[in-house]
Amino acid sequence: MTCSDVQQLLPELLDGAPDAAFQAAFDSHVETCPDCAGLVSDLKLITSQAHDLAETDEPPTRVWVNIAAQLRAEGLIREEETAPGPVLVPSSPRRRWSAWWLAPVAAALLAAGSYVVSHKSAQPIAQNVPPPQPVQSAPMQSAPVESAKTDIPTPSSTSVVASSRVAEQGPQEVATKSGHSASAPPRVVSAPSSKEDQQFLSMVSTLAPSSRATYENQLQVVNADIQETQAYVDQNPGDADARQHLMDAYQQKALLYQIAMDRIQ
Amino acid sequence: MAGQQGAGLLETRIHSTIVVTLVVATCLASAALAETKKEYRFTVGPNANISVDTQYGGISVHPGSSTEVVVTAILKSDSVEVDQQQNGNRIEIASHLLQGATEKTGQVNYELLIPADATLSLHSSTGPLSADHLQGDMTLEGTDAAVNISNVENGHVHVRTMRGPITLTNVRNGHVEIASISGNMQMKAVTGPVVQANSGSGKISYDGDFGLSGDYKFTTHSGDIEALVPQDVSADFRAHSMVGRVQHDFPLQSKHSRFPVELGRSFFGSAGKAASEVVLRSFSGRIRLKQH
Repeated sequence: MTCSDVQQLLPELLDGAPDAAFQAAFDSHVETCPDCAGLVSDLKLITSQAHDLAETDEPPTRVWVNIAAQLRAEGLIREEETAPGPVLVPSSPRRRWSAWWLAPVAAALLAAGSYVVSHKSAQPIAQNVPPPQPVQSAPMQSAPVESAKTDIPTPSSTSVVASSRVAEQGPQEVATKSGHSASAPPRVVSAPSSKEDQQFLSMVSTLAPSSRATYENQLQVVNADIQETQAYVDQNPGDADARQHLMDAYQQKALLYQIAMDRIQ
Repeated sequence: MAGQQGAGLLETRIHSTIVVTLVVATCLASAALAETKKEYRFTVGPNANISVDTQYGGISVHPGSSTEVVVTAILKSDSVEVDQQQNGNRIEIASHLLQGATEKTGQVNYELLIPADATLSLHSSTGPLSADHLQGDMTLEGTDAAVNISNVENGHVHVRTMRGPITLTNVRNGHVEIASISGNMQMKAVTGPVVQANSGSGKISYDGDFGLSGDYKFTTHSGDIEALVPQDVSADFRAHSMVGRVQHDFPLQSKHSRFPVELGRSFFGSAGKAASEVVLRSFSGRIRLKQH
C-alpha cells in the first residue's frame, strides 16, 4: 500500500476496513510511514472532536440564512443553483452533521475580518515611527490658539478648528519614556467623507437646506478628529487611552448624527 | 390747459394709489410679523412629564405651582403655530412652522412655570434654553442653543448641543451628562454621583469641590480642561492628554497607577481623603488643575 492509497482510502478505513488483510496492509504502512501516521492521528482527533459537538452547539437557523444571504450577495452562489443543490439551511437533523464545520469556519472568517478591520493600518513598531507625512486635501493652517479655541467654526475656517495644541507643539516632539510617540500626526484638515456622510448631507440639504453648511462644517470637524486620533492609534497600537479617544471621537460623530435626526424632520 | 390739469389729476391719483398700497402692505406685513402672546394652562399631578420642542426660539423654565403647568408662548409671526397636547400627566408643546416660515418669522419663545418635580425635555435649534430651581430629571438639547441650568438638585441632567455653550451652576446631587461637539462647557458648583462632560473642540471649565464621593469624567478632543478646586478638596485625580500639556498647581499625594504616568502629559494623585474620583482626559487639549 502506498501513501497515495492511504490518503485516498483513509476516511473509509477509519470507519473500519473491508477485510483483515486490507486492514493489516494499512496498519503496516502507517507504522512505517511517519507522514501517514500523522495524517491518521490528525483525522482521528478531528473525528473525535466532531463527535463531541452536541446538537445544542448547532448554530441557529438564522446563522445559515445570513451566511447564505451573504454568499448570494457576493455572487458566490446563485438562487437557481441553491434550489437543486446542497441546502445551506439544514432542513432536517439528519443533514446537520455535514455542515457543522461551517460554524467554526464562519467564526474564523469573522474573527479574521475583525482583526483586519481593527489592525489594517496598525504598524508593528510604535517607537521610532516617524510621524506620517500630511495627507491633506487642503492646505493646513495653523491658527492662533485663541481664535481656534473660541471662534465658532465657519465653513471657511473648518481647517483651523481644534488641534491648535498640535500646531503649538510641533509634530516633531520626541517620544516619551513610555515609548509612545507623543506627537500627534499632522492634522488632516479636510477629512474625506464617506458614502454615509454624503447621504447624510444630502438628507440635510433636502430637509433643511439652510442647515447644510453647519452640519457639513461639524462633520468635517468630527471626521478630522477621528482621522487624527486614528493616525495616532496607528502609530501607537498598544495605547489603550488612544483607543478610548478614538471611540470618543466616533461618539462625537454619532452625537452629530443624533442631533441631526432629532432636529431635521 | 385742460389736458395739463387732467394729467396732473391722473398723477395725483397714481401717487395716492401708491401711498395707499404701501400703507396697506405695511399694515399687512406688520400684522404678519406682529408678536402674538398665547397662554396655556394644564392641570397635572406629581411627577408630570413636560416636553417642549421648537425649531427657532428660546425656552425658559421656572418652578411654579405643584399642580399646574403654565406655558406662555410668544409667536413672532403668524408663520408659526403652537401645537399642544395633554395625555394624563404628559404634556407636549411643539412649534409648528407653516409654509414660508424663516428663522425670524418662525420663532416662538416659551416661558414655562412647572411643578419643581416634573420631568422636563426641551429642544430648540437656536435657543437659548434655560431651567432653574427644579428637582426633576431634565434633558435639554439644541444645535446652536446656549444652555443654562442653575440651582437644580437631585435629578438627572442630560444636555447635548452641537455648537451651543453649556453652563451649569449649582447643580447638586445630580446625575449629570453633558456633551457637545464644539460648544464650551462651564460648570460651577456641580456635584453628584456621576458627572460626565464630553466635548470635541469645546473647553471644559469646572469650579467646585468634586464632592459627594462622585465619579467625575471630563473628556475633550482638542478643547482645554480647567478645574478649579477648593483647598479642602477630597478626590483622586487622574489626568492625561495624549499630546497636550497637563499640570496641577498644588501638591497631590502620588499614587500607584496601573497606567504609565508621563511627566507633563499626565498625573495621578490624591488630595484629602480621596472621596471622589476625577478623570480628566484630552487628546490634544491642555489640562490644568488649580486651587482657589
